[in-house]
Amino acid sequence: MRYFDHSATTPLHPKVLDLISEIEKNTYGNPSSTHRLGKTSRVVIETARKQLADSIGCTPFEIIFTGGGTEANNLVLWNLLFQKKKHIITSAIEHPAILNVILRLKEFGVTSTILPVDRTGRVRPDDLALAITEETGLITIMTANNETGVLQPLNEICEIADKHHIPFHSDGVQTLGKISVSVKDLGVDMMSFSAHKFYGPKGVGALYINKNISLKSLIIGGGQERKLRAGTENISGIAGLGLAAEIAAKTQSKFEDHLNQLSQQFQNELTQKYSKAIYNNHPQHGLPGVVSVTIPDITSDMMTIHLDMKGFAVSSGSACSSGVVKPSHVLKAMGVSNDNNIRTIRISFGKENTLQDVKDLVNAIVQIIENQKRRR
Amino acid sequence: MSQRVIVGMSGGVDSSVTALILQDQGFDVQCLFMKNWEEDSRECPAEQDYKDALLACDTLRLPLHSVNFAKEYRDNVFKYFLQEYKNGRTPNPDVLCNREIKFKVFLDYALKLGADMIATGHYARISKKNNTYHLLKGRDSNKDQSYFLYLLGQKELSKSLFPIGEMEKKDVRELADKAGLNTSDKKDSTGICFIGERDFKTFLQQYLPAQPGKIVTDTGKTIGTHEGLMYYTLGQRKGIGVGGGHGEKEAPWYVVDKDLINNHLIIAQGHDHPKLFKNHLIANQLHWIATPPTDECSLTAKIRYRQKDQDCSLSFPETNTIEVTFNEPQFAITPGQSVVFYKDDECLGGGIIKEGY
Repeated sequence: MRYFDHSATTPLHPKVLDLISEIEKNTYGNPSSTHRLGKTSRVVIETARKQLADSIGCTPFEIIFTGGGTEANNLVLWNLLFQKKKHIITSAIEHPAILNVILRLKEFGVTSTILPVDRTGRVRPDDLALAITEETGLITIMTANNETGVLQPLNEICEIADKHHIPFHSDGVQTLGKISVSVKDLGVDMMSFSAHKFYGPKGVGALYINKNISLKSLIIGGGQERKLRAGTENISGIAGLGLAAEIAAKTQSKFEDHLNQLSQQFQNELTQKYSKAIYNNHPQHGLPGVVSVTIPDITSDMMTIHLDMKGFAVSSGSACSSGVVKPSHVLKAMGVSNDNNIRTIRISFGKENTLQDVKDLVNAIVQIIENQKRRR
Repeated sequence: MSQRVIVGMSGGVDSSVTALILQDQGFDVQCLFMKNWEEDSRECPAEQDYKDALLACDTLRLPLHSVNFAKEYRDNVFKYFLQEYKNGRTPNPDVLCNREIKFKVFLDYALKLGADMIATGHYARISKKNNTYHLLKGRDSNKDQSYFLYLLGQKELSKSLFPIGEMEKKDVRELADKAGLNTSDKKDSTGICFIGERDFKTFLQQYLPAQPGKIVTDTGKTIGTHEGLMYYTLGQRKGIGVGGGHGEKEAPWYVVDKDLINNHLIIAQGHDHPKLFKNHLIANQLHWIATPPTDECSLTAKIRYRQKDQDCSLSFPETNTIEVTFNEPQFAITPGQSVVFYKDDECLGGGIIKEGY
C-alpha cells in the first residue's frame, strides 16, 4: 500500500519508535513520585516539553500536554464557561473538534459567529473585525485547513484580536514540520498540536498557552500539568511527541521543499493527462504537499475504492466512524457545488513519498477515470 | 484473471460466510459495506455492524470498502414506506430495499468497481435453464428468503450469487465458527433494519402525524380510542388497549379491519373470528421473474415471510391485477404486504396485496 494520506495521520518516525520502546521498557516511575525512578520519568517529560517549546518558539512553561489535538481544542473552548464574555468567533472550515464543541457549548449559553471563507478557502480579516462584539471572549481560527491545506491570514487575524484584547486560539495540528511555526511571530495566544500529524505517536497532543492567559482544568484530579490536565502522564507518548517535534522543526525547510516538489509534480502531471481536474488547494497560501482535487468524472468514494484496490491510500472528504464518506463542509463553505464536492479527493504527501510514487498515482487515477468512462 | 465478485457485507454471519465460500472458490472477492440509513440525531447507527464486518474481513484477509446509499434508500424505499403507512397499509420495506438498493444501486456500483458478479448472504438459489434465470427457495426451508427477492428480474439474477442458498443455517454458523469468524454467534437481525431495537410507534411518530380515532367492534359498538390507524396491523392482538373483559366473552380482541374514511379501527373477539379469515385476495403491481403463470394455474403462495406454502389458484381480472383464491381460508390478509407465488421450489414472482375478501 502506498500512502498519500499524511494529513489524516503519519507513520511513526523510526527514531521516535526507538525512543518510545526504550521508555516503555525502562522508564516506568510515576513522574510525581519523589524517588529516583519518579525523577527519571519527570526528566523525560520536561525534556519533551523543552523540545516542543524550542520547536515552536515559546518557553516550556507555556506548554501543556494533552491526550491529543481534540482535547487541546476542548480545553480552550470549554473555558468559555468560566469567563464572563461568552461569545466566540470561529470560521466555517474548522475541524469538528472546534465546530461540534461550539455546537454543544450553545446549550450552556455560549453564542457564536461563524465566519465564512472566500472562494479560495480563506477567512477575510474584515469579516472578523465586523463580527467582534463587547461580549466576544475568544477567537479561534485554524492555522491551516486539514482538507485543503489552505493557510489562514493569521497575522492579520491576530492583529485584530490583539487590538480588541480578545484571546486568540488557533488549531495548528496540520502545521508542525510542514511550515515554520513560531507562536510569537504568529501572535497567537493559544495553539493546539497533535503528535501523530508530525510522525509522532497517536493519543498525545499539546496546547501552547501564552503565559498571560489563564485557563481552568476540565480534567480534575492529581494536579498534573500545572493543574490543567490531571492524570498520570503518558510518558512514552509525551517523549515521542517531544522528539518528533524536534525532528520536525529541524528538518522543516528541507521537508517543505520535498513536499512542494511532489505536489507540484502531481498537479502538473495530472492536469497534463486530465485537463478537467480542478484544484481546491491555494496556489500561494497552502501547506506543502496537500492537494485537494475535484475529478468531475467520478465520485470520490468510487475513486478511493478503486485506488485502494490498486494499492494507493488517499482520502475522500471526511469519513464518519463507519468508514462512509460525507460531503465536505469545508468545500461547501468555499462555494464548491454539491456535484463537485462529492467528486473531490485529498492527496497529502509525506516524507517517504517519491516522484515515482507521484507518477504511479497519477497513472492510476487517469486509468480509473478512463475505465469509468468506458463502462458508462 | 479470476472473476471479481463484490460481496455485500452487513456485519452478520450470512454475508461473512458468503465471502468465505467465494474466496475458497477462487474468486477475486472484494467486500462492500452499505450504509443505507442516516439520522441527524444519531451518529452512524450502523457503526457496530461495520466494525463486525471489518473484523470478519480481517479474519478472511479480504478488503472491505464502504459506501453510503442513505439518500437512495430515503428516496426510493423510505418515502414509499411512509406513504403506505399514511394510507393505512402495512408495507414490507425489505422487499423494496432488495429491488431498489441491493440489486440496483449496489449492483450498479459494484459493476462500476469492476465486478463481474455481486453476492449477498440470502438463503435462495439461482438456476439457469435455456438462457432463463430462475429463483429457487433456499435449501434451508426454515430460512428461505426467496419471499424477499421476488422483485428481482433476469438482469439482477444473471449478475448475482447466493452461495449460502445451498446450505442450512446451522452449517453456515459452523463454517463461520471453524474459520474463526467473529460473526459466527452474532444474533440474526430481526424487524425493520432502520428502526432496529427502537419502539415502532415512537419511530413512526417522528415522520407521520398521528390521528386518533374510535375503536369500533365488528358489531358496531364503540369501546375505546386508537392512537392512529397506521400503528395497527391486521390480525394484531397485543397493544390495542382493549382487554378481553370488554366483550361478551373472555376472549382477546384482534384488529380485523381499518375504516380509513371514518378513521375507525375495527376489532373483533377471538383468534378464530370469521372476519380474520378470507379465501380471496386481489393484488397488483405484479412482477414475474421468468414467465408469468397462465390463467387458472394451480400454484402455491405465501402472504407473509416464513408462511407455509398455501395452495391457490389464480385469475387475471384485468391487466396488472391478479385474483388469488386459496383452498384454505387465510388469517389476516394484509394490504401492503406481498403475495409471492411458487411452483414447487421455484419463486415465480408476486405482487402487492390490495385487499382480501
